[in-house]
Amino acid sequence: MIRYLRLYAHFIRFSFTRAMQFRFDFFFRIGMDTLWYAHHLAFFWILYRHTPMLGGWTLDQMFIFAGGVFLVDAIQMTMVSNNTWMLPIYVNKGDLDYYLVRPVSSLFFLSLRDFAANSFVNLLMAIGLFSWALARYPGPLGAGAIAVYVGLLLMGALLHFSMHMIFIIPVFWLHTSGGLREVFWALDRYTQRPHGIFTGWVRRMLVSLLPFALIVSFPTTALFEGLTWKLFVHLAGVTAVAFLLMVFIWTRGLRAYASASS
Amino acid sequence: MRVFWSIAGVEARKRMSYRVDFWLNAVIGFVAELGVAWFIVVAMFAGADRLGDFSRNGMLLYFVAVILVARIVRSADMEWSIADDIYQGALSRYLLYPANYGALKYATQIGALLPISIQVVLFGAWAPFALGIPEGVHITPASAAMCVGALAVANALHYMSCIPLQLVAFWADNCWSLLVAHRITASLLGGLLLPLSLFPAWSQPALAALPFRYMFAFPVDVLFGRVSPAEYAAGIAISLGWCAVFGAISAAVWRRGTMQYTGVGM
Repeated sequence: MIRYLRLYAHFIRFSFTRAMQFRFDFFFRIGMDTLWYAHHLAFFWILYRHTPMLGGWTLDQMFIFAGGVFLVDAIQMTMVSNNTWMLPIYVNKGDLDYYLVRPVSSLFFLSLRDFAANSFVNLLMAIGLFSWALARYPGPLGAGAIAVYVGLLLMGALLHFSMHMIFIIPVFWLHTSGGLREVFWALDRYTQRPHGIFTGWVRRMLVSLLPFALIVSFPTTALFEGLTWKLFVHLAGVTAVAFLLMVFIWTRGLRAYASASS
Repeated sequence: MRVFWSIAGVEARKRMSYRVDFWLNAVIGFVAELGVAWFIVVAMFAGADRLGDFSRNGMLLYFVAVILVARIVRSADMEWSIADDIYQGALSRYLLYPANYGALKYATQIGALLPISIQVVLFGAWAPFALGIPEGVHITPASAAMCVGALAVANALHYMSCIPLQLVAFWADNCWSLLVAHRITASLLGGLLLPLSLFPAWSQPALAALPFRYMFAFPVDVLFGRVSPAEYAAGIAISLGWCAVFGAISAAVWRRGTMQYTGVGM
């Protein structure tokens, strides 16, 4: 474990060094994420000019939900996005060989090697917006409830990562440019909307087979309505199943990998 | 012109060759995007019969139309192709061709429209039967013909607006984030996320002057018969004006960029 933490510290150091060499990209990406945050807040602000509640939440609650979305997205963009982008390219070009011979877990190495230093600035910005949304909330929110919320959001980030990988790993068999990445991004829209607006079988699917509603919506529900054992077991259980499924298909994918001819 | 249509034909055949991948992404992308919009609209109308000038079915039909319009306007998401050519050094061979580079790339964009047009017809055909034609929507042969014109201009405007951002690739290692920023801005201010009539009154003059409205919301308004001939002419004129602005910026950036392009990528 200590070895992996030391390795990760090296990844972070290298990433910052590399980021400072490409300064244009560094600032472009910060600008892009800032716009993304602004457009998200503007979307909800405009919606709530025409309705007092959406999916059972007020605008103040929706801003906290949006803060949670920003936090999970910033973690994803900082820690895994560059790696998940490159993985299909490595598989299709046969460049994976280089990583498979390393004396560390290939999944760890390939999914966490490239830490996006420029998105780290956005992670700080996301934390700021998240804190702002919590601070402007008119009701009482205890420190304990907020700590639990942050913990559940981190679990949501792990679930998001697992789902992302589950959609990319099929590249071992499909040999398309990005596995099922486009499908993942299409479905990920459901992460960014409160699960209270969905009904019927769509809602059931979003908390089970395609658990995008669990990533931010469930933790936000726990913040406002209190954490119940049922909700915790549901979120933890689905996250564990998704993670184990991701590890399983990764192992199967590596077996199917045929190097340069893949 | 013969070369233009020849390149467009090659691109259309290329797009159709990855059929499973293409249709899987197309169907799931459309269903997911429409699904989110659908549930947002249903939640918004939970306590109201009308919002602004929209009934519930009217807004649902708007989202079906604007999502399909966006597919035609963005044309298979080829915003990156010029930046890619610059990064990878593939621009060199185009510089040797006796043809305009911008026109060649636009031909590939037009070629990619063929499979997208099939999608749009298939995905959009059910909407009038499922939703009916809500009050305030008047789709006629004339409005459909005017919409085709607005779509052609919107496609060109979107393409032109992306070129200056792509040409930043002459200097920056990676300009994809600029194009994503363009996409985010155009989605919100172009009416893809929400009908522009829901925006505050003070923002309407700015929305009408900026180019984004003419990429997505304007062709839908034209199709729905909500735009008078005078407004249509003004909209097309503003779009062409923005095309000229983006064209002039692109030409200036292109001149400076090609002067220091090394031919081996960045």
